[in-house]
Amino acid sequence: MANDREVLRMIWEGQLALCFQADPDEIVGLQQPENFYLMVSRLSYLPLVTDKVKKYFSRFISDSQQDGTVWFDYNGAPLKLHYPIGILYDLFQEEGSQPWCLTIHFSKFPEDSLVKFETKDLLESYFMSCLKEADVLKHRGQVISSMQKKEHNQLWIGLVNDKFDQFWAVNRRLMELNGEQECFKYTPIRFYNEDGTYIQKLVSPLTESGKKKTVKDLLDELSTPKRKAVGAKTHGIDVHSETHLQWMSEHLSYPDNFLHLVIYYESV
Amino acid sequence: MADNETENTPTASAEKDNKICILLNATGNVPIIKKRSWTVDPYKTVSWIQKFIHKYLKLDPSEQIFLYVNQTFAPAPDQIIKNLYDCHGTNGKLVLYYCKNQAWG
Repeated sequence: MANDREVLRMIWEGQLALCFQADPDEIVGLQQPENFYLMVSRLSYLPLVTDKVKKYFSRFISDSQQDGTVWFDYNGAPLKLHYPIGILYDLFQEEGSQPWCLTIHFSKFPEDSLVKFETKDLLESYFMSCLKEADVLKHRGQVISSMQKKEHNQLWIGLVNDKFDQFWAVNRRLMELNGEQECFKYTPIRFYNEDGTYIQKLVSPLTESGKKKTVKDLLDELSTPKRKAVGAKTHGIDVHSETHLQWMSEHLSYPDNFLHLVIYYESV
Repeated sequence: MADNETENTPTASAEKDNKICILLNATGNVPIIKKRSWTVDPYKTVSWIQKFIHKYLKLDPSEQIFLYVNQTFAPAPDQIIKNLYDCHGTNGKLVLYYCKNQAWG
């Protein structure tokens, strides 16, 4: 694992330029606030990087809305607070232009389409749950359950504080193979649809004949008689069709240990 | 529970082939639902199941239901049952544990 450490570093350093604008209906007073610009890690989550944004805009809204749960939308589409920012961008900003302009809201939380994460602790326990689920798929959960609480914390703190070495010192073990294993048992992977939902299923990193599965094999697996899967994108990259799934899992997974792939389909 | 409430509750019978069979286990200090096996629409979410349990047990609004898959992890409230079943189902069933306090973090 991790012979391609430079790749891990490049993925970690992937950033996006965001531009936050106010919801005009929430602004009190005559003057509209200026937009707020921010560079954020693709791997992080909106609630982790928007404290300053929230503080800035809260000066322009009424007192009664100060305690509301903050949420964001892009072109009217509410953005899930527990999806990594990189996947939100890859899903909704297809042209790849930046800065990516989002609107911040302090009221009218869309309970039907978004899950509230009122505290960072809630987001942390969701993140840890993802890691556990991923390890169940990769190693029957044996690696994560053998770790100490402080090692679990180190993964989260490493992500929150953008510390590559701190995160990877622990994550390395989650990406290791057991003994003679050539691959993980299953690949933790989420396939995103255009509407922002995703499907998850058991995906072996090996084909039935025991060869390492490639992106092309994966797309064939996802294709149905009605629609053909023609491409997969993650971290803003259209992944090459010959890339091995096992390599992707080790190098292109988000910190939650899942591969998050936007899949493109063509009607047949 | 009346079977004609299928819109709002899991159904008692498992005939509909596209439905998913879930097994509800109580854990910790929480009342037990006698009927453990239910079938649900594959696109129902985790939070829908949580609300169902909450209502079924007539819990106080201040009480919360936590749900775990195979005693290991807590899925996101908006995760759909189909995704969980496809990855973690065993012997044709998805085994879920529910409790009132965080159990497996």
